[in-house]
Amino acid sequence: MHPEKAKHDFEPKIIAFVCTWCTYAGADLAGTSRMQYPANVRVLKFPCTGRIDPAFILKAFQQGADGVLISGCHPGDCHYISGNFHARRRFAAFRKLLEFIGVDLSRIQFSWVSAAEGGKWVEVVTDLTERVRSLGPMQEFRELALEEQWSGAINTPELQEIYDQI
Amino acid sequence: MSNHIDTSAYSAVTAAIRSEAARLLAGGEVSAVIGYLPARRKGSAQPAIITSADQAAELIFSPACVNNLAVYLTKAKKEVPKSGRIAITAKSCDMRALAGLIGESQLQRSDIHIIGLPCPGVLSSVADPSALLTTDTVASKCLECEFNLPQGADFTPAVNVTPPRGPSRYAAEIARLEAMTPAERWSFWKEQFSKCIRCYACRQVCPFCYCEQCVCDRNRPQMVETTPRPAGNLAWHIIRAIHLSGRCAGCAECERVCPMDIPLNLLNRKMARELKELYDYEAGFEPQEKGPLNSYLEKDDQSFIK
Repeated sequence: MHPEKAKHDFEPKIIAFVCTWCTYAGADLAGTSRMQYPANVRVLKFPCTGRIDPAFILKAFQQGADGVLISGCHPGDCHYISGNFHARRRFAAFRKLLEFIGVDLSRIQFSWVSAAEGGKWVEVVTDLTERVRSLGPMQEFRELALEEQWSGAINTPELQEIYDQI
Repeated sequence: MSNHIDTSAYSAVTAAIRSEAARLLAGGEVSAVIGYLPARRKGSAQPAIITSADQAAELIFSPACVNNLAVYLTKAKKEVPKSGRIAITAKSCDMRALAGLIGESQLQRSDIHIIGLPCPGVLSSVADPSALLTTDTVASKCLECEFNLPQGADFTPAVNVTPPRGPSRYAAEIARLEAMTPAERWSFWKEQFSKCIRCYACRQVCPFCYCEQCVCDRNRPQMVETTPRPAGNLAWHIIRAIHLSGRCAGCAECERVCPMDIPLNLLNRKMARELKELYDYEAGFEPQEKGPLNSYLEKDDQSFIK
């Protein structure tokens, strides 16, 4: 029944922040329609895209995500009238900030997926997974998390000199 | 190439604010005046709150009056008496901060009496307080300043000032960073943020960081690691920048107080530029009820959304 699964050296971890009214229902539809999409995506359900804080994206990367997907209702379809409009501005600004800091924006995907668009959900998730897979693991945040404040070099000439004096 | 900046205006402004403060306090129009007094180090100045007309004669305005006094009117500074009207001396950058605070309902315009300061520029954080004001020693923000005369103040001394002229340091630095590859930018910021000791001086001095509890201090859930390690530092500075975008008045106090010399205002200037480009928003003298990130238009750009 199931198509043969390709073996990959690297399986990316994708965190999807989705709104409960549209994209979560869209992903549900994909499931109940028995559409296949990569199991790399971990779906986190939020009341609205307006509830998704830019800090969540940072946190996801710090906790080892290789890619992040933010998805909600199409403009005009928000259950709370304007939540996705606010989110759109917030993420437009946040993208610019991340770009300026030097984060690779191709690891972050924003999309509108309605409750009827199971197919689009599959397409968005597959595209992002394939793209992140070709980029490889997100090393920047992982390396940063392992670093300590000081340089870590304990054999500098200055320290050696002080040590010798003791 | 350094050019001298005409500083003759300072003494005239000082005389004008002294008489205005004395008049306000003697007449009981305000209960206190927030201004600058000479500090112990030669040429330096410190913020002060005076409550009697006698003290008004000590008020000064000089190139060392760097502080943005708007911070003394925010919720974070509860020790400032809230009884009656308060007068505050404000440069045009500080006036934008006041306008922002009024727009965010942190202040009532009727509760404050603004004494506008015509300002030819102030010294940068690295310059000695007694140094001569030149285009080299002037603060970077002053080279970008377009409003040397504050607008919309209750009282502005009738003094003409010539703004400092020079190439903008922020624009040059932003252009330099934008020309880099993402990896180079990442390593630049990584190095800058690694210096951070998480003293939160940038938060303490910012007029817009008035939250009773900062999201970065919460530990359940903990969004930002509180120890001064690079991972938490990066998160703190990114969150700080995004929370200030669309609100920052550009007073550059964060950058001035940073003991580790992290170019914090560079992030603020970059975001201000992006918001200007995206939503045609600029911090101004007129209080605005809604900022660019808590309002929207249906036709906003969504080319980045699939």
